[in-house]
Amino acid sequence: MSEVENNETPVQNEEKDYVEDGKNKFIVKCKFCGSRILDKKSAKYITIEKDLPLMQQDNNRKEGEIQNESVNEFYHVENMYTFENIGFTHTVANCKYLSCADCDAGPVGYYDNDTKHSYVAISRIVHA
Amino acid sequence: MAKTYDYLFKLLLIGDSGVGKTSILFRFSEDAFNISFISTIGIDFKIRTIDLDGKKVKLQIWDTAGQERFRTITTAYYRGSMGIMLVYDVTNEKSFENIKNWIRNIEENASADVEKMILGNKCDLEAKRQVSKERGEQLAVEYQIKFIETSAKDSLNVESAFYTLARDIKAKMEKKQKEASNPAGARSGGHQLRNEPQRKPTSWLSRCSLL
Repeated sequence: MSEVENNETPVQNEEKDYVEDGKNKFIVKCKFCGSRILDKKSAKYITIEKDLPLMQQDNNRKEGEIQNESVNEFYHVENMYTFENIGFTHTVANCKYLSCADCDAGPVGYYDNDTKHSYVAISRIVHA
Repeated sequence: MAKTYDYLFKLLLIGDSGVGKTSILFRFSEDAFNISFISTIGIDFKIRTIDLDGKKVKLQIWDTAGQERFRTITTAYYRGSMGIMLVYDVTNEKSFENIKNWIRNIEENASADVEKMILGNKCDLEAKRQVSKERGEQLAVEYQIKFIETSAKDSLNVESAFYTLARDIKAKMEKKQKEASNPAGARSGGHQLRNEPQRKPTSWLSRCSLL
């Protein structure tokens, strides 16, 4: 994989087989239940670095501790109504986390309250 | 960006605390995710896309986020809502009695032509039932609102309830659009709607006509 960039960068088409014309070539679905999250070609591929809480937190972690991982490939959704099916959590630190509308798995990405844009973590979904 | 849907409806879940509104929105599945990060934060709203008679309809469904504890919901929360699910718990008499109060709260705060539907939730708990299905139906007839018993736990009738509410909103909108394009009935569609005889309270199951 290429180096992680801090700013949004236009994708090189030849780099990713799931990206076409800078957008998601395939339907985006929930990894766990297959619920349809995005239609094909509805979101822009971007690379940004963002810490996201793990979908499954370790049961033995310290109370109140949140385990994060750094995620750097996202689909950028400018209008929330572009989503087919998605859940938005209550706000935490000026963002809402995205979750599967059918099985509530998540975070599958986040929503920025300021820009009102959403970002779906590619490592946390499947293409179909 | 081009609009990729035909309709967008904002829907609210209203009712006393503990009637299962959150379970209707949020499944809290018994599997791996019950310890997940998401369940500790809670869901604010969901977007769902459904097909209604060949039209792509986006539903934005909101929970009350605990506001109901104050027995009233503010105007801000109702703003822009086109459909309201009034939820009570069939094992809780008080929550059923309070449906009337919630209807009054809606009349005072929401748009006059908001579509409503009553849900008697937790119908899987037959042994603990305090409110018969007949009483639910009676209340619905009294207010000319559709009614269905649901079990969020067993996913019974929840989806069909949302389809029914969405279909009714769509029918109402299409009727308004038709009236607006017809010069004779162009003025004040809302007023005309109120003067019309109300839709007959047939069982929602047997109802499939659009208008």
